[in-house]
Amino acid sequence: MTKPLEVLLLDDEPIVGRRLKPALDKIGCRVEVFQSPTEAAARIDEKEFDIVVTDIRMEEMDGIQVLEHVQKTWPRTKVIMITGYAKVDLAREAMGKGVFDFIAKPFKPADLRRIIFRAAEALGSPIDSSLLNDEPVAQ
Amino acid sequence: MSIFIISSDAREIEENIAKKVAEAMGYKLLNRDILATVAANYQIDTDKLSEAMKTTPSLFKKLPSRQWRYYLACIEADVLEKLMADNIVCQGLAAHLYVTDVSHAMKVRVLSGNRQGIQTVAEKRGISLQRAEKWLASELLQRKKWSLTAYNYDETDLTRYDLVINLDQIDPAEAVKTITGAAEYRKFQVMTYSMKCLSDLALAAKVNGALLKSMADIRVQARDGSVVVLTRASSRQKRKKIETIKALAGGVEGVSYVEVHVKKNILKETN
Repeated sequence: MTKPLEVLLLDDEPIVGRRLKPALDKIGCRVEVFQSPTEAAARIDEKEFDIVVTDIRMEEMDGIQVLEHVQKTWPRTKVIMITGYAKVDLAREAMGKGVFDFIAKPFKPADLRRIIFRAAEALGSPIDSSLLNDEPVAQ
Repeated sequence: MSIFIISSDAREIEENIAKKVAEAMGYKLLNRDILATVAANYQIDTDKLSEAMKTTPSLFKKLPSRQWRYYLACIEADVLEKLMADNIVCQGLAAHLYVTDVSHAMKVRVLSGNRQGIQTVAEKRGISLQRAEKWLASELLQRKKWSLTAYNYDETDLTRYDLVINLDQIDPAEAVKTITGAAEYRKFQVMTYSMKCLSDLALAAKVNGALLKSMADIRVQARDGSVVVLTRASSRQKRKKIETIKALAGGVEGVSYVEVHVKKNILKETN
């Protein structure tokens, strides 16, 4: 049996974690959900996640700071950014700093699963592609 | 990096640089050669499309504003559809004016400069340097006017571009190297967000083209298959116009929902 993909999901809106966790569980990810960036950062210090999915606009720490923290601690970890305030400048800034992908809210859980699938491939731990069925649930 | 949109103040230079960048990168070149296909797809005369890319509407030229906007919408829809494919150099199709907020599209402006631009135009057109200088100046004014009328965007405003190269200071071969080297920038890599922005733009353009064929004063926005159309109509025409727009836009492939917002057409109301 292949090792499950370890995913940290950080968004200050609780509904995002509630909706996305089951969608990622379905494709065999082991997901830890956080609403506080500082708590997420503390957990990142303790554990190497394969993928970190983070919101950008948050109190205490923004998504770019989370990205920098992950890169400093675990350079292999892929970071995916999600935001409701997507703009071309922000997307380029995130990409320039090394984010794996950037997606604007609202999106379907299936959209995130496709990105996770690509990230898993890049990490050398591919996910079974038959698990990537679309769902009409909007986030 | 998958899209370079190259423009210049001199058409000859723009064509030359775009061609060389496409060759060096092994990318497909998208230029005015597609106008014949666009014309065939929309059953329009190719010459009329070419004319629309050069001139602004005028009764004298028998090119009314509505028709002109329809021609541009057809070109725009086709170009955006083609840009959905990866690895393209686009030139001569005004894409720098309507491909907005697509982070993996790098907009490059090549300034012909006094020396290089005048010399190239003089050679290509077989005219004197003095005439070439005048020709370039008038061409620049004409294109500025065209870009403002067509897209409310001054193409000579250099702050709108991601990369600006002055050929008076940088040789054309070096310019090509600089542009192709920029393909490595992570900031311009394709991402889910930028592909979605592009597909939304492409859908909005298709709907715009479908509507402008039979009506004027239309603005279209699209997101994930949902389309919002902004228009004007008198109180008497409002219901019929909404129905027509919903039927036409709803018939465009990829559209799942249509919302129409109508503002009062004050001129028609008072008549």
